[in-house]
Amino acid sequence: MRSSPWMSHNTLSGWAFILPYLIAFVPLLLWPFFRGIWISFHDWNLLAVTFNPSAKVFIGLENYVNLLWGDNLSWSLTQFPIFRLIVTGGALYFYWRAVQAAGFNRGRLITLLAVLFVSVVLLGLTGDWYDPRFWTVVRNTVVFVAIVVPATTLLALLLAIALNRPGRWAATMRSLFFFSQILSVTVVTLIWQLMYGVRNGFIANLLAPFNIASPNWLTDDSLAMGAIAFTTIWWSVGFALILFLAGLQQIPGDRLEAATLDGATGWRKLFYIIIPSIIRTVQFVMIMQIVLHFQVFGQSQLMTQGGPGDSTNVWVRYIYQSAFRDSEIGYASAMATLLFAFMLIFSVIQFWVTKRQES
Amino acid sequence: MNKALISTALAACCATASIAQAQTTLELARFFGDCDNAGTDVSAAVGEACIIQSIINSFDAEDNGVRVDTLPTDWGNYYDQLMAMYAGRNAPDVHVIHKHRIAQFASLGALKALPEEDLRNAGIDPGDWAPRAREAVSYNGELYGVPMDFHANLWHINMGLMEAAGLVNDAGEPILPSSPEELVEHARMVKEATGVDYLTADFAEFPIGVRLVLAMLWQQDTNIFDGDNVTVNTPEARRAVETIMSLFDGGYARPNLNYNDSQQAFLAGEAAILVNGTWVVDFYDAEAAKADVALNDYYAADFPTLFGTPATWADSHLWSLPSTIAGEPEKYEAALSFLAWLNDHNIDWARTGHLAVRESVLASDAYQSLPHRDEYANTVNIARDTPASVRYSAIQDVLNRELQSIWLQGKDIERALADAEREINRIR
Repeated sequence: MRSSPWMSHNTLSGWAFILPYLIAFVPLLLWPFFRGIWISFHDWNLLAVTFNPSAKVFIGLENYVNLLWGDNLSWSLTQFPIFRLIVTGGALYFYWRAVQAAGFNRGRLITLLAVLFVSVVLLGLTGDWYDPRFWTVVRNTVVFVAIVVPATTLLALLLAIALNRPGRWAATMRSLFFFSQILSVTVVTLIWQLMYGVRNGFIANLLAPFNIASPNWLTDDSLAMGAIAFTTIWWSVGFALILFLAGLQQIPGDRLEAATLDGATGWRKLFYIIIPSIIRTVQFVMIMQIVLHFQVFGQSQLMTQGGPGDSTNVWVRYIYQSAFRDSEIGYASAMATLLFAFMLIFSVIQFWVTKRQES
Repeated sequence: MNKALISTALAACCATASIAQAQTTLELARFFGDCDNAGTDVSAAVGEACIIQSIINSFDAEDNGVRVDTLPTDWGNYYDQLMAMYAGRNAPDVHVIHKHRIAQFASLGALKALPEEDLRNAGIDPGDWAPRAREAVSYNGELYGVPMDFHANLWHINMGLMEAAGLVNDAGEPILPSSPEELVEHARMVKEATGVDYLTADFAEFPIGVRLVLAMLWQQDTNIFDGDNVTVNTPEARRAVETIMSLFDGGYARPNLNYNDSQQAFLAGEAAILVNGTWVVDFYDAEAAKADVALNDYYAADFPTLFGTPATWADSHLWSLPSTIAGEPEKYEAALSFLAWLNDHNIDWARTGHLAVRESVLASDAYQSLPHRDEYANTVNIARDTPASVRYSAIQDVLNRELQSIWLQGKDIERALADAEREINRIR
C-alpha cells in the first residue's frame, strides 16, 4: 500500500524545513492580515471594543463604500486634462512603438487597456465624495512615489556607474552613500529638519551670507512635498546604488570594451549598452521602491504633520490617524486593505515581468 | 567563616527582596517635554518639563514605598500612544490628560471614577477646587481625575517694540486693539516704527491658529456648534478669519512659522506680540532676563477683546487613573498618594504661568506675587472652551487643516469653511 503524498518522506521533510518560517509567518503576518480584512467589515472603535467586545457592528462593505464612493457622481472630460492627456498619449505611443518593434502581444494589450481605463474613465470621475480626504492622500502618495522612484533610480544608477571602479576613493564614496541607508526614519527626519530649519538650519546658514532669506521648506505649500521627497531620495539612494553596483559588475568586460571600440561613449553607451544589460536590476529596483514608498509615513508624520493643510498627508498617515487618533480601526483597516490591493498590482507586475524574462 | 559570610549574604538578599516587595511601582505617562537632571528641588526648577519632573522625582525620593517610572512620551503623538496603550490593555497607572479628552475616555469606561471619599482619605480636598476645576474633571456626575491647572491663550508682548510704536499707556501697560480695524492700525504703527512684525504665532503646525479663530467666534457670541448643528461656515467665522488674514495681507504677520520658529522670532525681537499659552510665561520671563536675548521688557497680557464679548481659548491639565487599577488596591492607593502630592504642589506648577485650580492657592500671597500674574489676572474670567465632544481632536484637526489651507495655500475662505463644516458633520 502506498502512503499518501502528505505522509511521504519528502513532504514531511519539506514541512520540517518551512515550519520555522511558518511559526513566525502565520501568527505575525497571515493571521493579522485576515483579521485586518475582517475588522474592515465592521464599525469598530478601538477603545470601545477594548472595554466592551460586543461594541463592534458588522456593516459589510460600508467602510469601502464610504472611502470609494460619493453622491452626484459624474464623468468629466476636463478633470486633470493635461495629466490625463499625457498619460493616455504616452500609453498609446509606447504601445504603438512596441507593436511596431515586436508585434502584437496580449500582455501589452491588457496593460494598455488597464492604463486607459484609469486615465480615461477613473480619473474622469467627479462628484461629492463621501471622504474627499481619502482621495487627497491617495493623490499625494502617488505624487510622492512619482517624484521619489524615478529620481532615486536615476541618481543611484549614475552614482553606481561613477563608483563602479577599483580604488580607495570609490570604495570610500560607496560606503558614504550607503551610510544614509542604515539610519532610521526618525534620525533621517531629524537631520533634515535641522537642514531645513528656517532660522538656524544648515541651508539657512548657507544662504545668510548672500542676504537670502531661507524659504519655508516645510510650511510652504509649493515646497513641502519636494522637501520630504528630497529627504527620502537622500535616504534611499544608497540601497539602490548597491543593487546597481552588483548589476554593473555582472556586465562582461568584453561587451563594454567592444562597445567602446565601436565608438559608443557617454550617453549612447549608457542607454544602448549599460541599461539594457542591467534592465532586470532596474526593474527590480523600481518596483521594490514603488512598493516601499507607497508605505511612506515617517517623513510626513515627523517633518510636516501632513501639512500645510493636507498637502503632504499620505495614505499610511491617514490610516494611522483614523486608527490611533480617531479610534476608527474598522475604517482604517478598510484603507489598509485598499493599499494592500494597490501594492499587490505592482507586485503582480514585477512577478509577470520577471517570469516573462525568465521564459 | 565561609558559612558566616554566606548566611550574611543570604540575609542581605532577603532584606533587599522584602524591601523590593514593599515598593509599589507606578508607570506614569505625561507630555510637557524632557528635562535633563530635573533633580528633586522643585523650587529651583524652571519651565513645564523641569517643574513637573522635579515634582515627580521628589515624590519618588520620599520614603513612601512608591517608585514612579516616567514613560518616554512625546507631545505630538501623546494621545495616539496613550490610546494604543489602553487598547493593548497596558495603560499607564497614572497619566496626564486634557479636560477636552475626558468625554472620549470616560464614556468608554477607560478611566477610573474617583470617589470623593477616596480622594479625601488620600489627603485631597475636592472642596478646595475652583468650580471650573471640578467641572473639568467631572463626567456624568463622577470625578475622573485631579485637576492641575487652567491654561489659556495670552498675548505675550515685547514692551520695547510697543513703546517704540507709541503703544504703551502712562501706567506702563501695552495698548491693545479693541476692534479688527484697530488691530490693523496698531500693526501698521509697529511696522512703521520698528520694521518688525506686529504679531507672530504658530499658524503652520499646532492648532494655535484654530484657538485664535475660536476666541474670535466666542467674542462674537457664536460657536462651532449650535446645539446639534455644526456652524463653522458663518459670517462670524468669515469675519474672524478675515481679521487674521488682514495681518498677513498687510505684511504685519507671517503664516509660515511653526511653534518653535514663531517663539524664536518673538525672543529675537522680530515680532512685538506672540500668541501662545500660559505655559511659557516663566520661560519667557527667564529668557528676557538674559543679556543675549533681544527680548528685554516682557509683559503677559489677557487676550484682547476685538469683538463684543471678552473670550480666550482655554483648557485644563488633569491627572487620571485607568479603570483597570481598581483590581490592584496597592497601586490604586499609591496612585492616589501621588495625586495628593501633585495637588499639594499646585503652587509650584502655577509658577509655569498656568492658573492654579485650588481656591486656597489662588488666594495665597505666594500665588498673587508670581511674576506677571497681575498682568493677565482677567484671563480666568474670560476663559472658554469648545463643547465636550468625543471627536474633539479630529474636529480640531479638520479646523487646523482648513484654516492652514486658507493662509498657507490661498484657499477661498468660504470654500474652506464650507469644507470644514461638511467634514465635521461627517465625522462627529
